[in-house]
Amino acid sequence: MRKACRELIHYLDVTVHMFKMAVMTVIEYPSNIAGWLISNPLQFIMGFAIIKFVVESFGEINGWNYGQLAFLYGLSVISHALSMIFFVQGWFMGYYVMEGDFDRYLTRPLGVMYQFFFTNINIVGITDLIPGVLVFIYGCVKSGVTVNLLFIVQIIVTLIGATLIRGGIYILLGSTSFHTRSAVDFGQYTQEIMDKTTMYPMSMYPESMQFILTYLIPIGWISFYPAASFLGINSRYAGMMIPFITLAAGVLVMLAAGAYFSMGLRKYESAGN
Amino acid sequence: MKKYLYVGKTQVIKSLTYEFNVYGNIVMQTIIMITSAYFWRALYQGRGMVGDVDADSMLTYVVMSSLLSVLLITNVERRIQMSVQKGTVATDLMKPINIFGVYFAEDIGNITALLFQNVLPILFIGSLMIKVPVIADIRDLPLFIISVLVSFLINWLIAALFGMIAFSAVNIDALIQVKKHLLRLLSGSIIPIWFFPPGISRIMESLPFVYIYQLPLSIYIGRGDRTQYLSQMRIQFVWLVILLGAFFFAQSRVTRKVLVQGG
Repeated sequence: MRKACRELIHYLDVTVHMFKMAVMTVIEYPSNIAGWLISNPLQFIMGFAIIKFVVESFGEINGWNYGQLAFLYGLSVISHALSMIFFVQGWFMGYYVMEGDFDRYLTRPLGVMYQFFFTNINIVGITDLIPGVLVFIYGCVKSGVTVNLLFIVQIIVTLIGATLIRGGIYILLGSTSFHTRSAVDFGQYTQEIMDKTTMYPMSMYPESMQFILTYLIPIGWISFYPAASFLGINSRYAGMMIPFITLAAGVLVMLAAGAYFSMGLRKYESAGN
Repeated sequence: MKKYLYVGKTQVIKSLTYEFNVYGNIVMQTIIMITSAYFWRALYQGRGMVGDVDADSMLTYVVMSSLLSVLLITNVERRIQMSVQKGTVATDLMKPINIFGVYFAEDIGNITALLFQNVLPILFIGSLMIKVPVIADIRDLPLFIISVLVSFLINWLIAALFGMIAFSAVNIDALIQVKKHLLRLLSGSIIPIWFFPPGISRIMESLPFVYIYQLPLSIYIGRGDRTQYLSQMRIQFVWLVILLGAFFFAQSRVTRKVLVQGG
């Protein structure tokens, strides 16, 4: 027990240092920060504007009005930003496999998966967080949800779960590189699919797709079910328990991803061979 | 010319090496295409014409947009950034061949491979699962093909111009993202700009982006008439000339800069 505790403290200590290093690396290139500060918010502001145009042309989207869509969009973007900060490496795993970069991690006395994700904490992801929070607050006001302590706790639990679901999916997709030994940049595609399924009400898709997105690939729990239950919109699932189901789904996906990652790592051979 | 053909051929062979990439790309693009189709189906439910277009044409738009997006993949901006970062650009420029020509040939080679690896499978799957994308008026086919070729060139020139920023900024990851989002949202590849408020769509019609996706696709689904197409293609052509001018100007600037620094 004491040994486990000491190890945990060691990991936390290392994480703090890594975090500091990540901040410094970002500060090194000021012009790049400026670029990200424009590009990321721009992306989401434009995306949000497009939702507005669609609503104006078509009226409600599957019974969701503009304010409710803003709520859904905000929730989705915030969890996207958090997953970008901690798990974006999953997108680039193929390049690490191809160039033999896991060698360095294997020789160090820390978990490989931990090192892979935490030596490269992506501070830049915070630039996604800003538009997400803004749109979310706007959505809260427009849709008239009552903000109290319970709501805030539920939102935090939802966001943790949603971030884990997204991160787990990135790791699962990235780990395929161990077996295929190729670098497929799934990032853009995953993002596009996630955008379509988490930023718009999932109920607009056919039953079979909803089934897949609820039980097989739990993308529906990232934003759709939580938002529907907060806003009191009729959906298959609603109630107080939703955020915790999201959390549970996140933990499950993460565990599966971890197992698949370690399985792949066993197959990994360094670039030299 | 022969040299560039050779570069293109090598790129085709390179693209054929990684089988998994091909299947992965097809699966991902198919999922995106089908979700978009359901997206529009749900929006159009119980509505006839919105923005002068009915649901059926919109589905054709989705399938064709997916196909076009494969043809409009460029790698030139990343190639420039990489050669500037690694410093190989200096030796590249000494070779008796234009490096931008090489990048262009590489992109053409890549797309040639993709034509068989991705375009045909996606067309097949799209026809099977969504709808067979039939051109609205077969007599407009030549116009469609010409506008696609011009849009390919416009798209490549914009990518190359963005890439050249790497000569002074070195790291252009962020800028590549900016360009990607601008293109995705302003070109009508996801949501056609005729759904936007009139003021905004008028501004966007004066930018080059709509002439990359939306113009060829409008011709294909038959939104508008021939005089409209021709006048829009004239603007498209003007943009091509402007971008070509900008490209050659920037090219001479950046190569001179590298040659001066290289001593």
